[in-house]
Amino acid sequence: MSKDLRPKLFKLGEKALVLDCASLSGSNSKLEIQRQIWHISDLCKASGDFEDIVPGNNNLTLFFKDSKKIPFWSNQVNQFWTHKLVQLKPGKLIQIPVQYGGEYGPDLNAVAQYNKLTPQEVIEIHTSAQYSVLFLGFQPGFPYLHGLDKRLFTPRLATPRLAIPAGSVGIGGEQTGIYPAQSPGGWQLIGRSSVNLFDSTLFGNDRAQPSLLSPGDTVQFIAIESLGEVEEAKSEVPR
Amino acid sequence: MIEVLTPGFHTTVQDLGRTGYRHLGVSVSGALDRQALILANSLVGNPDNAAGLELTAGTFELKFYRDAWFTLTGANYEIKIGSREIWHGWRNNIKAGETLSLRGPKSGMRAYLAIDGGIDVPLYLGSRSTLTAAELGGHQGRALKVGDRISLGNKLSISKPIGAVQRGYSNEIRALPGPEMAQFTQQSRKVFWSSQWQLSNDSNRMGARLTGEVLDLTQELNLNSHAVMPGSIQVPPSGQPIVLLADGQTTGGYPKIATVIEADLWKLAQTRPGEQLQFIHVSPNQAEDANYEWQQYFYRLQRSIDANS
Repeated sequence: MSKDLRPKLFKLGEKALVLDCASLSGSNSKLEIQRQIWHISDLCKASGDFEDIVPGNNNLTLFFKDSKKIPFWSNQVNQFWTHKLVQLKPGKLIQIPVQYGGEYGPDLNAVAQYNKLTPQEVIEIHTSAQYSVLFLGFQPGFPYLHGLDKRLFTPRLATPRLAIPAGSVGIGGEQTGIYPAQSPGGWQLIGRSSVNLFDSTLFGNDRAQPSLLSPGDTVQFIAIESLGEVEEAKSEVPR
Repeated sequence: MIEVLTPGFHTTVQDLGRTGYRHLGVSVSGALDRQALILANSLVGNPDNAAGLELTAGTFELKFYRDAWFTLTGANYEIKIGSREIWHGWRNNIKAGETLSLRGPKSGMRAYLAIDGGIDVPLYLGSRSTLTAAELGGHQGRALKVGDRISLGNKLSISKPIGAVQRGYSNEIRALPGPEMAQFTQQSRKVFWSSQWQLSNDSNRMGARLTGEVLDLTQELNLNSHAVMPGSIQVPPSGQPIVLLADGQTTGGYPKIATVIEADLWKLAQTRPGEQLQFIHVSPNQAEDANYEWQQYFYRLQRSIDANS
């Protein structure tokens, strides 16, 4: 039994190692596992052995500067895991105004139909939850949010769109998130916000934190009638 | 300083990329053909990581405002200073006031222009590379336009032209099996390694989209997104593989059938839309050998450049 409670470790390409805790989500809550991952990520950061350390959805990928260190760290990461220490991030709460449906949410009806709900019910369910930022990925500042209601789980599109507008709010499988910049993508789009998630105008300033959200923050979506309403409020979003 | 007279099709400032920020979702970016950029930099006496220009087809014209040494590597372009023709893969001198024109490519897809002292745009998160998808880095976060004026680093002292032979292109691309390889049907696994894949027109700096026989999973997979990287070959439900390139997303949720080895990733930058390529299955040991051989190439190259300078 205890064997099953070990994360899976596997190599990705030549220089990366993935710690995958997907099989453990029955025993602990997703957020608890993620707090353990954040802690391990901090421990790894201190070593200087990595080019990048990227938490994912209940997993952690370590990009090595030197692949010879992989065996050592495989062992080390496993040991860290058994210590069961967690990082409790003091996150901030950020409200994100969203115009749902219509041209801004072309897949709202499809998500409703797939889940046998009305579009209005999808909006109510989506705005009633508070979501934890599990990790950032895919695009600069793109938050993967935990806490999507099971009633809204919807598969990704069979063929990803080539261009999704910035600010689009989508659902991909059991996840929901916001696209910070125009990009291709396979999630079902239910609405759009005008919040700036990644400020690339912080040019030349290496110490600036260009990302609005950080892992451990909490997000709440607010339904609004028109995106125009928030143009003024936009500048008031805390950073 | 240099001034862009004709911008070409998607010309961007690139160095060897941006690491340390993938946890914020910032892609590594950087030159798609890293070996061509390193070669170009070596020829003009720059450090490997100096910024150059990455050209993707079309005509590109540049006016120089200081004497400079430059070289063009990667895809084979016609190169002229005024009306004088210049060899590809050689370093040459250009005088202040002269115009460099580049037209191509005759073969390959992406060319790299290195200038002594390097392209001097501001560092953003530790790199000069342009990530157009996020409008950051490079020259104002975008591809170059007519009239752009860009600073150069300090001039280096170089006395004579020299050239280098570039490694030959083949359409055989070595790859390691990916974490979800076993979850594709036996037939699809066979097809993946044995068939010719065609590079689609939808390809760009984010990904090389391939078309061919549809690849099927034994059963539907709903994976938790984790980090991916340049070289990861994802298969979305359409069954048509996408090889992630330098500007590709940092995390992804599609099954990964294989990973292109680092030593062969440059070949995807030099394949043209419509051309075919094939994946060759290698072991981790073979990948390591290929990398070693790659490092050796650069080592020998640097030694002979030093010896001839």
